[in-house]
Amino acid sequence: MNPDEVEFIGEKQLISIIPTFNSSTIHLVSGDIGPFRASLPLNVPLWIAINLKQQRKCKIQPPDWMDVTRLEQIKDDEKSSRTFTKMPSEHYMIEAKLLLGYAADDISRADEIRTVIKDIWDIRMSKIRSSVDMLIKNGGSYAAVDNLTLMEINTMRPLLPQAMDQIHRMKKERSHLRPPTQNTTLSLLNSSHTSTSK
Amino acid sequence: MSLSQSYKPNYFSIEDILVTQERVPCKFLINVPKLGKLNPATEDLDIKPGTILELPMWLAEPISSGRQPLISIDLPRSYKETHREILKADAVAVDLHKFGINFYELGLYVKHLDPTGEVLKVLLHTFQSRFRLLMDLTENVGSDPTVQNRLDMLERMLFKSGHAARMRLDTWLRKSDLPMEAAAMVVNHKKRKRIDLEDLFKK
Repeated sequence: MNPDEVEFIGEKQLISIIPTFNSSTIHLVSGDIGPFRASLPLNVPLWIAINLKQQRKCKIQPPDWMDVTRLEQIKDDEKSSRTFTKMPSEHYMIEAKLLLGYAADDISRADEIRTVIKDIWDIRMSKIRSSVDMLIKNGGSYAAVDNLTLMEINTMRPLLPQAMDQIHRMKKERSHLRPPTQNTTLSLLNSSHTSTSK
Repeated sequence: MSLSQSYKPNYFSIEDILVTQERVPCKFLINVPKLGKLNPATEDLDIKPGTILELPMWLAEPISSGRQPLISIDLPRSYKETHREILKADAVAVDLHKFGINFYELGLYVKHLDPTGEVLKVLLHTFQSRFRLLMDLTENVGSDPTVQNRLDMLERMLFKSGHAARMRLDTWLRKSDLPMEAAAMVVNHKKRKRIDLEDLFKK
């Protein structure tokens, strides 16, 4: 999958905004949004929030996990844990990228947050790399992907699934090492013949 | 062999056609009349029993099986004991392209010539130990283009698709107005140390 497609999925996350305009409810296929009342917070999908922000029609309230102390805590947990820890949001990377990119003025200490999130991403990426390597080396055929977010799982595509396919292909050959000789096909034919004649 | 759908050698698969084009050493078991042309070494009209020729896989395979085989195929050099030992010792250091352009694919064709089943084990072992190398190559974006010279065709296909995906991810990460990267000053000063994950796993 393309990262942009993953971003598209991630943009459905709800986020709280404070609009600076009044508008009645907007009816969309995915659900109704609004009504918008100036300075009354409401939840909208991330893509709408970014769009309104670009038009300077709202102020985005960053999610509570987007906070330096909270993120430092997550980073430390991630560092000390062998497995992956649960991220505060299923699409933390997408939210962070969009919010820090377009609404940095609504977030306090945005630069520090950016560095910490980048650290968390790097730690998790190198964990993924080491575990993928172990998986292949040990000849495992499945892996648990608990607590991994969609974007992170996507970083190993298509290399890992394709490599696993090839390994499976080589292993499959082991079960029938010799190609069927003429004799076996003949005996098969005979047996089927006798069974039908009975 | 295409990475997208079916891996079964299919009739129209160009990769498979190229693999079966590889020549394998064959020994003729019986006298074959009027095909002496195939053997450039003699002027004889017939191929005598005991003649050793290199025939392409697509020809050798059908005439080596059946009720009355014409030839017996010998295991190609790259899959023999000595070469297997090299791969067992350290598969990563090997220039697999020199072992055979289609090392894995041809290996799957000739594996049944080895009654011990060692060939298949070596193929699997080679692929598994070289995966780390492949993964590192795909992630080192912008490294020199000669790196893939040491890969066999199957690995190259994996490398290409993996590298393309990696490039897309990198573009995505860089695309926003404010790139999500560590500040240049921090990188230069090496203030932030990357934690050593190998140690973490050893615990």
